[in-house]
Amino acid sequence: MADVIQCPVCNENNSPEQEFCQFCQSRLKPATDSSKGAIEGFAPGQAPTQKVTADLEPILPEWLREARSSARNAADDDIAQAAQQPSQESSQSSSPPDLLAGLQAHSGNDDEEDTPDWLASITGSAPTSKKTQADSSEVRWVELGGAKDFAQEESAAENETPSWLANLTSSEAPSAEKDELTDWMREASGMNPQPSQPPVQLEPAASDTPDWLRQMAIDSGEQKAGESFNDAADNFNTTPAASDTPDWLRQMAADSDAQNSGVSFNEPPAASDSPDWLRKMAADSDAHNDNSLFNEAGNTSNVPPAASDTPDWLRSMGTQDQAQSADSADFSETGFGESDAAAGSSAGESPDWLKELVPETSPSTLSSDDDWLKGLQAEKTEQPAQADVLADADIELPSWLSGAPAAASVVPAQKDEPAAPAEGDIELDDIPSWLKAAAPHSSIYGEIPENKTPEPAQPPDASPDWLNTFKSIDTSQAPAFAMEEPVDTAPPAFVPDSQTGENMDALFTDMPDWLTGSTDVPPALSPAPTPIINSDVLAAGELPAWVQAMRPVDTGLSQLSSTLLSSDQTLESRGALAGLQGVLPAAPGYAPTSKPKAYSIKLQASDEQQTHAALLEQILAAEAEPVPIASYSALRTSRGLRWALAFLFIAAITTMLAMRTQIFTMPVGNTLEINGALQVVGSIPESAPVLVAFDYEPARVGEMEAAAAPLFDQMLLLRHPRLTFISTNETGAILAERFIAGPLAGHGYESGIRYLNLGYLPGGQMGIHAFAQNPAVTAPYAFAQSSNLLNTTLTPAWTLPPLEGVTSLSQFAALILITDNADSARAWIEQTTSARNSIPFVVISSAQAAPMIQPYYASQQITGLVSGLYGGAVYEQNNAGRPGTARTYWDAYSLGMLLAMVLILGGGLWNLALGLRDRATAREAK
Amino acid sequence: MVISPDLITGAISFLFTLLILSYVVGDNPLFRIGTYIFVGVAAGFVAAVVWWQVLWPRLVYPLISGSVPMIEKGVLLVPLLGVLLLFMKISPRLTGMGRVVMAFLVGVGAAVTIAGALTGTLLPQVFGTINAFDMAALRGKDAGFFIEAITNGAVILAGTVFTLSYFHFGARPKADGSMRRLGLIEISAWVGRVFIGITLGAVFAGVYAAALTALIERLSSLINFIGNFL
Repeated sequence: MADVIQCPVCNENNSPEQEFCQFCQSRLKPATDSSKGAIEGFAPGQAPTQKVTADLEPILPEWLREARSSARNAADDDIAQAAQQPSQESSQSSSPPDLLAGLQAHSGNDDEEDTPDWLASITGSAPTSKKTQADSSEVRWVELGGAKDFAQEESAAENETPSWLANLTSSEAPSAEKDELTDWMREASGMNPQPSQPPVQLEPAASDTPDWLRQMAIDSGEQKAGESFNDAADNFNTTPAASDTPDWLRQMAADSDAQNSGVSFNEPPAASDSPDWLRKMAADSDAHNDNSLFNEAGNTSNVPPAASDTPDWLRSMGTQDQAQSADSADFSETGFGESDAAAGSSAGESPDWLKELVPETSPSTLSSDDDWLKGLQAEKTEQPAQADVLADADIELPSWLSGAPAAASVVPAQKDEPAAPAEGDIELDDIPSWLKAAAPHSSIYGEIPENKTPEPAQPPDASPDWLNTFKSIDTSQAPAFAMEEPVDTAPPAFVPDSQTGENMDALFTDMPDWLTGSTDVPPALSPAPTPIINSDVLAAGELPAWVQAMRPVDTGLSQLSSTLLSSDQTLESRGALAGLQGVLPAAPGYAPTSKPKAYSIKLQASDEQQTHAALLEQILAAEAEPVPIASYSALRTSRGLRWALAFLFIAAITTMLAMRTQIFTMPVGNTLEINGALQVVGSIPESAPVLVAFDYEPARVGEMEAAAAPLFDQMLLLRHPRLTFISTNETGAILAERFIAGPLAGHGYESGIRYLNLGYLPGGQMGIHAFAQNPAVTAPYAFAQSSNLLNTTLTPAWTLPPLEGVTSLSQFAALILITDNADSARAWIEQTTSARNSIPFVVISSAQAAPMIQPYYASQQITGLVSGLYGGAVYEQNNAGRPGTARTYWDAYSLGMLLAMVLILGGGLWNLALGLRDRATAREAK
Repeated sequence: MVISPDLITGAISFLFTLLILSYVVGDNPLFRIGTYIFVGVAAGFVAAVVWWQVLWPRLVYPLISGSVPMIEKGVLLVPLLGVLLLFMKISPRLTGMGRVVMAFLVGVGAAVTIAGALTGTLLPQVFGTINAFDMAALRGKDAGFFIEAITNGAVILAGTVFTLSYFHFGARPKADGSMRRLGLIEISAWVGRVFIGITLGAVFAGVYAAALTALIERLSSLINFIGNFL
């Protein structure tokens, strides 16, 4: 089954190569881009192409699709009738569908009564036509998408594509095919140049031409012949088909008759829904036609009954043409239609806009398809015959369309009938809004200023837009109908209130969708001006207040500048008034006219005010003055007291020293620190190397020698150690030499033999740390003992007897530090902790450094501590009073300490007494 | 007449002692002369010591001596370069060149000082304070020694804690806006202040004792100098 494709419409099998169904010509495959482009639409003047309506189903409006579906239902019922017309199946297969065909079908459906009359009238399918078999068959053809599916009375040779359109699209269009428009054109011509086509072919059942178009052609012929249209109008009112005609159309026709026959306009206003302006247009058209012309209406024998479906507006259009030819004098007065008349007389065959189309076709097709054009020409001379046609036809053309050309002809007649526009204005109230918007401006507001020179009528575009699209092809060069000429005047921005008073909502609610779409035609496609619509949309009376407030700005400025401020041309350049001119004028009256009055600048103040001002100045000045802060006078040393104390101390000490008194006993008992030193001295092996560090200042030499001499005396006396001196102070080496040569001179120690001075150890703590790690490298040379300053000989220290067998710090028997500085003691203690291991460490310190070195003894980081003269005196007591230095100093020292204590206590008591006295004085003062 | 060197030195000592003691009457030129001479002599002596005991034996002599191996000489170029760079600090424009050496010295010195302080002072002092209550060390001692040791340890502990409390300056604002420490801390600080006062008094006494001893020694030297002529 893959080799065939089943048609989705007729369910017939087709070969896969076929794009369309060979039975129903439906599209079997989805449309490609090229095919899609064919259905996208057509431009004005473009000949419609044949389409399968089934393909157009999705794009149809909803109401149209419903109509089509109803038609399909009806088609099932009429299938039998369609089978009786098999002869037309092949010829109708190529007839192009049209979207408007659905309207016909819809109207032809008996079940569809929802379609408004006016719409049915516009589409050309009069309600009465549904009674005829021809209409029903035509509907079926349209609905099923091909004419071949149903029997048609029309001959197979007829092509539904209009010939003139076919000529436009293709010069090779087959002449045998017959379009829908061709028939009514032929009928309109009345000439029927094709002898082979009998009049029967113009029967309603055989004609695809819309009746209203056909009637338009007939009307044109009637006007040409000068026949009266009144009788036709009477027949229009009396024909059975007129029962389906909209009331407003009938009323329009009645008005036309009444005007032509002298009957009052007040007669039957039964057509309440007929727009008054349309009736007026029809009336005007009839009024300007000669009554005799319409009274001589001929018979309608050569016109098929289908011609009765011609709309009135087409008939009126033909009437206009007739009027143009017959009343050439009237046109000559106003100039309106003069050229048209000339063109019509000269060409006499076809309208100019059609003539513009004709050259585009090939001559061959022109000769075969211009029958309807010739028919139009012939109609102008056969008005009587068409008058009968109008009498028998169901006139469905809207009166406003038929009245449009008539209204154009009214323009020159308004000179003589000034009351006519007034009547027309009264009737405007009955016009639907949407029709008012779509109606020609001149027909509604047909009033022409009398002061203007009558110009050749520029008939407002009374025809629908879709008709304008057909004639829009270069209409400026040769307009076929003067009434269709576009209005050259620019659309007014605001229209009178009478026009815009209509409800805007009614405009869009009453207007059908397809007409709404027609109003959206771009101006380029529709030559008819559209300012009326714009005026309806935006009414001047409905402008917002702010807009109205803004509008008079220009005019107000112009007036202001022209009247009051005409001389001020100042242009505001900034601020809210930027761009305005002369708004804030520098009026001449504002300028000072005289010299300003001189005022005195002298302060006029009363005495009281001046007093207050002075007081204020004093207050401010007091704020700026610095406030003295009560300060306590610092206690300053009294020179006399200082001298007295100095004298006291020097005298007492000198006396004690000079007298060599021993008043004060030496201290008794040993402290823990001194006991530790004694144990160290006692534990030193014989002739063991002892490292002695001299780190005190020369100023402390008396104290340090008095404190250290008893220990060294005992040690040298008992253990005969090998002493090695080193110092982190530059003067330490000299002090060491002084020490060994002074208090210890009795021991007979010689440098390099019993003792060795390593001299100065640079680097502070780093030097001590380095010496503790590797003493031989840090201090390799001995301190020079030579008196010759130029002797640069260096003596290696670590090879001398004092340092024999010693390579490290831990190999010394003891480490004795003589220092007056707690930091020096701390440095030695800290940096030698890891290096000295368990060797004893005795510190001989000054009295001032003892409190800071005492904790190291408490923590057992040092073995013993001898501090100051007191420590030396104690240690001297344990050394049998040797060397006796402490004893020499001890009375003076004791006296000095006593004096100090007395002075401190005496001073304290003195201060206390002074304080008590001050407090008592203060208490008495209070 | 032969002048003994001891007499010369004794006379100089006597003279400069009087110059310094002249400060009793206030700042005077004699005092300034004595101080200037001492400063100058000390500076010159330091320079001589540095040359003779540092630069010459440890830098110059090894470099010019033929007995020193070349490797040691090469190593000695590093301190020589450091010395030269330190001399650059004389010029403000070239002072930046000595910063490397100074950085090295400061860095090494700080490291040695911190390490020594940690291992030689801080930790041993903490352990010493704790060991003051070591009952094992007091085992076998008499009651008096035990009481003395316990009291001594308690005083050391109290002095340490209260002194540290005195330097605790953390406080909270009161309702009246004043800043006061916690009550317990305040009391501990007060006790710590007492301990600090006692310590400063002991230091002052030591300074006074040291100064008094120096005065006695100087007066004794004067007396001895004068006594030599009497």
